[in-house]
Amino acid sequence: MTGTEEQLARLRGGQLPKTHNARTIAALATNPGCTRRAVLDAAAVDKAEVASRAGYPAPFGMSPFALGRGVAFERRLKDEPEKDLLMLLREALDLDIAEVGFTDLNEVGGSTDLAVRHERTRRLLTAAPDQRGTLFDHPLLRFAVGGRHAYLEPDLIAFRHDDTVHVVEIKSFAIIDDQADGAKVAAAAIQSAVYVLALRDLLGDRAAVHDQTVLIAPKDFSLTPVAATLDVRKQISVLRRQLSRIAAIDDLLELIPADVTFSLEPDRGGQSRRDPAELLRDIRRVQASYAPQCLASCEMCYLCRDEASGTTGALGKSVREEAGGIESIQKVLAYAYEKDPYPVPEDVTEAAAILRRAATLRRRSLGDPT
Amino acid sequence: MTEPSAPDDPGAAVEALEERIGGLRAAVRRAVLDRDPHLEGTLRRELSQAQQAWDQALDATREDQRSALDPAATSPGGLAAGDGTRGPDQPDHATGGTSGRRGALLPLREQVHEALSLLQVPAAPRIIAAVHEAFFATTFPTARLTSLRRDEERSFTSTKYARPYYICAALSADYLSPSRGLLAVSTWPLERRIISSLSPRVDFLVSAINIAQATEQLPDPVPAARALLARLAANIWGSSSGASGAAGPHRGRLDPQAVIRAARAELDVHAGEDQRIRSEAASRARKQLSDVEQLFGAASFREPARRGQAAEGR
Repeated sequence: MTGTEEQLARLRGGQLPKTHNARTIAALATNPGCTRRAVLDAAAVDKAEVASRAGYPAPFGMSPFALGRGVAFERRLKDEPEKDLLMLLREALDLDIAEVGFTDLNEVGGSTDLAVRHERTRRLLTAAPDQRGTLFDHPLLRFAVGGRHAYLEPDLIAFRHDDTVHVVEIKSFAIIDDQADGAKVAAAAIQSAVYVLALRDLLGDRAAVHDQTVLIAPKDFSLTPVAATLDVRKQISVLRRQLSRIAAIDDLLELIPADVTFSLEPDRGGQSRRDPAELLRDIRRVQASYAPQCLASCEMCYLCRDEASGTTGALGKSVREEAGGIESIQKVLAYAYEKDPYPVPEDVTEAAAILRRAATLRRRSLGDPT
Repeated sequence: MTEPSAPDDPGAAVEALEERIGGLRAAVRRAVLDRDPHLEGTLRRELSQAQQAWDQALDATREDQRSALDPAATSPGGLAAGDGTRGPDQPDHATGGTSGRRGALLPLREQVHEALSLLQVPAAPRIIAAVHEAFFATTFPTARLTSLRRDEERSFTSTKYARPYYICAALSADYLSPSRGLLAVSTWPLERRIISSLSPRVDFLVSAINIAQATEQLPDPVPAARALLARLAANIWGSSSGASGAAGPHRGRLDPQAVIRAARAELDVHAGEDQRIRSEAASRARKQLSDVEQLFGAASFREPARRGQAAEGR
């Protein structure tokens, strides 16, 4: 065991490492500047458990109705892959007429064992081009994150005649009038990017995994599927950077005091005996960078939001950047309205001047004489 | 195709109906216990229909006895089930009429057999129900099909080949395991029941051709049949409705011949390779598998597949 691993194990305490999935790997990329998240993920801490022990249970879990809709939509396509699904992909990817092979990798002859499925996936995907099918349903890929392997399961992947592979993501949010919810599309894109990286790992130079992935979602208010292509080059580079940060976790660990641990000290029944206040104190000693987007992707979000209340970061990244280095909302207002009893520090004079000017403009445009 | 059914043997019909009523009651009870209101409603409707039919059949018996006529004229059956495939344990009554009430009296396995005989390829419950609705005027909840394959397997294991046909599994080409969710007929050649990675598309094209031919033979246009064909045609390039979808105003004018031509053209591309894989797998299956395994899948794979099937039905 290296020093790094030892230190990560100490941070995790006695708990089993939490395995990653596509969603958690995708979440790595949403807030790359957050040390807390990077450290917790590198140590594979169960963030939901830790957050709830510290008094901030995570608001996660999908609505059963949304889940049901997602499952129904995917099954509708996959139950008859030779129909809508094939026609959509023929159009989106320009498949040859001969490219219709569909292989179900949800199970291998009735077995759903992960290792067996991964082995079969590997064998089928790395076969010679003329021996290989076109569409693969739920192939099981393996991806190394922070020294551990996570199993990933794309909805579908498609090989094309020119030996390029496309990741196909099936989502149940609607594309209405050719428009879809930006945040949801972004989440789908980053998940697809995770699969692209995992596939590149697996295939090496045997086949090129395309930067363009296909998103299949219901059209308008029906369950009729429609396909769109997503360019995930940007997401791939963000992910790469974030994954290398995890790999280079040593630099971050150096910043953390040696006695910090996220251990829950479970008793024999699995109940945590860790003092919540002490745990909270340890968590707070690792720096976070809260942004409202965290609410959608990180289990620690309530804790960080509470901690960040009153700072400009809590209002979003753009506000923080606009306020130019002034951390607290109160101070921003004080500088803007010149209610500051003490002189403006040197390093924020410029920002304070801009704020004052903005406040004056606001007053004038609102017709407020004060 | 929809010839009026000839009078059955009333005595046998009454007995069969009693048996069916008993079976339906048990099924209703099970549906209530399983808290499946949809299935319960369907079964209760069928039960009351069966009850009515029983009343009528009883009346008919009384009249027959009064007039002392020979009632033993049997029906030649419906479109596909008239090929002498009725089992001795399946009384021959109420075939192929357009009346939904009478058609529903056919045992489920016979309804499935009718639909599969038209399709000529292994198919999923949803398609089987849709085809039966389009060409035999009755349909059934697909949930009822989930246990059919298991019942058939049990029947086959207890007495081999006692029935003229069994509703059995399609086998995956790689592991000869039962293919998820597909039903087939035991009298088909083994090759037809093998599913390679190309087979879903090939089977889809074959079934589209068969449905187009059957639609052409219908004396009057049946809306359900044409709608089914239009849905299939939407997924075949070059058939007249093309990819523009099935719901357009041109649905009624869809030309079955065009569908057949387009499907054949694409079929030519895949058929050779698909056939090669199928024959290879079939000869492997004949060498390695026992009789029951050839019909219901290699033994080591049947248990998990069955569990999966039960989970799907739930």
